[in-house]
Amino acid sequence: MDEALRIAVNCRHYAMCKIDFLGTGVCPSGLAHHYVSFYPEGRMDLYAALAKHRVPVTEECVRIVESCDLCGRCDKQCCFITGLRPTRVMEALRSLVAAHLAAGRPVERPAGDLLLARIRDIVGERWATNDPAIRATYAHDPSPLALFRMPRYVILPGTREEVSSVVRLLRDAGVPWAARGNATNLMGFGFSEGAVLDLNRMKEMEFDEKNWCVKIGPGVTAFDLQREAAGRGYRVNVAEPAALVCASMMCAGIVSLFSTAYGASADSHVDAEFVATDGSFFSLNEKNAPNLYAFDRAGAESPGICCSLKVKLHPVTTDEGGVLVPFDSLEKAIDFSRECAVRRIGIAIGVLGTEYLSSFMSPSVRLALEIRDVLTGKLGMACAVLVLGDAYALGSIRAMGHPLIDQRLFTTLSLGLPSLAGAQWLDLVAALGEDEPFSYLKIGGFADLAETALCPSPSRLVQDFDPDLRQVYEEAYSRPDLTDLVWLNMFRITSSRVGREKHFLPFLMYLPLDHGLVSEVSGGLQAIAGAKGLKNALGFITPVDSGKRCILEYDYFLDQNDEGEIERMRQAAAEAGALIDDLSDRTGTIRWMRYIFQQGYCRKENLLYA
Amino acid sequence: MREASDRGAGTLNETDGGRLFALTGATGFLGSHLMAGLIRAGHRVVVLGRSRNGTGLADRVDALLDWFGLESCRERIDAVEVDLLEPRLGLSRRRYDTLCPLTAGIIHCASDTRFSERCRRESMDINVAALHGIVTLARDAGAGCFHYVSTAYVCPTSPSLCAEVPAGPRAFANVYEEMKTLAEAEVAALCSRHAVPYTIVRPSIVYGDSATGRSNRFNALYYHVRALQLIRDIYLNDIEHHGGLRSRGAGIHLDDEGTLHLPLRIFIPRRGQVNLIPVDHFVAVMAEILGDPRTGTIYHVTSDAPRTTEELAGYCERFLRIRGIELVCGEEMDRTVQNPAEEVFNKLVKPYLPYLADTRRFDRRNTAKLTAGLSTPEMTYAVFERCMRYAVSVNWGSTNGRPPGAM
Repeated sequence: MDEALRIAVNCRHYAMCKIDFLGTGVCPSGLAHHYVSFYPEGRMDLYAALAKHRVPVTEECVRIVESCDLCGRCDKQCCFITGLRPTRVMEALRSLVAAHLAAGRPVERPAGDLLLARIRDIVGERWATNDPAIRATYAHDPSPLALFRMPRYVILPGTREEVSSVVRLLRDAGVPWAARGNATNLMGFGFSEGAVLDLNRMKEMEFDEKNWCVKIGPGVTAFDLQREAAGRGYRVNVAEPAALVCASMMCAGIVSLFSTAYGASADSHVDAEFVATDGSFFSLNEKNAPNLYAFDRAGAESPGICCSLKVKLHPVTTDEGGVLVPFDSLEKAIDFSRECAVRRIGIAIGVLGTEYLSSFMSPSVRLALEIRDVLTGKLGMACAVLVLGDAYALGSIRAMGHPLIDQRLFTTLSLGLPSLAGAQWLDLVAALGEDEPFSYLKIGGFADLAETALCPSPSRLVQDFDPDLRQVYEEAYSRPDLTDLVWLNMFRITSSRVGREKHFLPFLMYLPLDHGLVSEVSGGLQAIAGAKGLKNALGFITPVDSGKRCILEYDYFLDQNDEGEIERMRQAAAEAGALIDDLSDRTGTIRWMRYIFQQGYCRKENLLYA
Repeated sequence: MREASDRGAGTLNETDGGRLFALTGATGFLGSHLMAGLIRAGHRVVVLGRSRNGTGLADRVDALLDWFGLESCRERIDAVEVDLLEPRLGLSRRRYDTLCPLTAGIIHCASDTRFSERCRRESMDINVAALHGIVTLARDAGAGCFHYVSTAYVCPTSPSLCAEVPAGPRAFANVYEEMKTLAEAEVAALCSRHAVPYTIVRPSIVYGDSATGRSNRFNALYYHVRALQLIRDIYLNDIEHHGGLRSRGAGIHLDDEGTLHLPLRIFIPRRGQVNLIPVDHFVAVMAEILGDPRTGTIYHVTSDAPRTTEELAGYCERFLRIRGIELVCGEEMDRTVQNPAEEVFNKLVKPYLPYLADTRRFDRRNTAKLTAGLSTPEMTYAVFERCMRYAVSVNWGSTNGRPPGAM
């Protein structure tokens, strides 16, 4: 496999090339053409499809190639998260197509059909296609559970009326469809053999500050919404940065560490407007609307397409900050997180596994592995509890007496990671913690000494990157954002790094915040993955509803191109599903995301307790 | 039952030459040196111990024999994996019985030396509860004597000479002292009940070999020197590779002769001394005790010329090429503004303060009677330097100087 293909088939579909999280700009071709095919993610899929002879060279394929000027923005974005260099794929794609054209081989143009023509009558010529080069980029994701499903059409409606007309037309024609946001769910959703409706053109954002909400279209990403909200002095509760907010809501509701304070499911929105599956309109605030606030434990069909969402705005104070409280056992961490939640201390709480933590903090896989070993081996850390809050909340955490990593030390550790891995002085730390784990963090001078020892420096931190990228990353790390616990968790930029070494399959569920039950669930999931030889780790646990329940993510990892691992992952996923189902039946208190799918708009209480 | 991983099970007996001793704690510092001493003296040893981190006891012992240069003496060691807290040490009746008639004397070195209150339960188990099984073995084996290795620091902190007599309850500096005191009483009671002759040996703080500087453990004295070295290296690295801005801010600098000026006040409750003996002396004294044990006798293996804390601080400065260590007596540390190095170092040494500010003097008449002509090597700077150079050469045990099986 050539290097370009190796990169292409390792695209994680995190869609981080679609948001400007580094301030280095977004692919101009993608912004102009909207189809994912014109973004680096789509081009990677297209190159892989061409290389595997899944699609011919078509007119759209040539257009896609010609629209890329190899500016290198995608390298800056993608490499920062996944370590991949998409520009090498863009170059290979260009060469491949150029060679095809130079050889005088045909450029195919798919024949039109009547349905496509009628769809184009609705959305415009430009926004619907049956070109295989575009369809191939809407056909799969790296999920081991997703099969390659090539749609007949890809449609990009621009208004809710267009959505409605298209849905009616497809229904009348008997063509199945799927609505797609940025397809970042990684679970194989959003595909159809019929039509895929990509909602990326619908990016309206309308703030209604006097009513503490913002009305958004279904094409608005979490990152863009959070950035706009933050610019106005607010915060929204959103999911992964490149995920579209409406799609996240539709999928399973918003899951974030801020769910501790801002709630889950219907807590996040004021209203939502839908195009139903029959093409009619309804909004949640209508008396006669379908009751999407209800929750059915057996699962539910899609209610249609969310065409706008009124998202709640939350106030932000100027004294917000964050701390990480390390623990030598998951049980202690869970108890602490529950205590914080019960006492309503903090606006965001998360028990983070060391795999998660080291991946977030480390700019490279090499460093992440080293740091994970330092955290677990040398420092004896099983996990850490992240708490964000205002000065009063952080004061309360300090008053509780736990050793903690404050913002200053976190910045030191983040920018000093290269020195941390081989630091002999960490041996002192183990001795200092003999009486009380991590008690060295209570020594006033520890942060100073750590700063002197680690010599935190953005320029040293980025040495693992290729030389041509170091300058831009050094500048990024020189800004406070990328080491600011609050910013990092509001925008979740580095969260995707958890899938950098290997793609991951997350198991998400709500359950009581009880360390016995959490240990049983995570222990069971760990045993299943371990027996299959799959890397696995606790992701995070976030208390919700005053600590009565929590959201738990446990992750299984795989090489997305290793057929053996894919098969073992499928088996493990089936066994894990059976385990969760069994525990759910036995306890009556576990809600697995699989059954929440399509019910993200439900009332949290119906979801958790009904 | 633990026979599976044993080596040479039940093959040793006294007719093979030398005497046969059972030894616990043979993978620890004192125990391993005792094992080597016994082997070198022509004796045979049944090592009673545990596997650790997936390494069987036999492999751990082999690694130690390699370290001592005794690879050729493996046939004189019988490694038996036991659990001292289990009846018959966790062995089957048959295995236990084959063990029993072969044991002439038992040396019980196994110990949990941690000071922390968090370790109270494990400390109680290993230091006290385990005695029942091992003394019962001494009875069943008809052991000539049960030798219990304790610590000199069970003695009360009084201005008068600490006699070689049983220690009583008092305010202990840490869990270790408390458990060792309890253990001594338990040894006396159990041995009396089972009519097993016994001795109690109380070494003070033991460091490496005074002649060679070698050691396979780097705690106690080494711990403080290493901590100072690591703190020194943090500032040296800052000065030599990062401009030294932070060091200058803390008043730390490197002079023209390469000496680091590191203002570091060590807060101790009072002026004191540290009673240190080299491990070769400990082994030599033990050899005398094993050769002529007097039941019920307590032996202090201590130094009559302990070094003052100031002297040792001076040794550290000289060895590490630093200046600025100052011992501050009596001041309350928590009320004093400290620089980061001071804060960290004082936190590190806090559990050891009772031994840095110790004023105890130890009577060692019982020991002296047995060891006439055997003097305690003094901890001179030359000895200190030899030991620390060795420690540095093996990176304080993280390289080949550390027997892997011992960890």
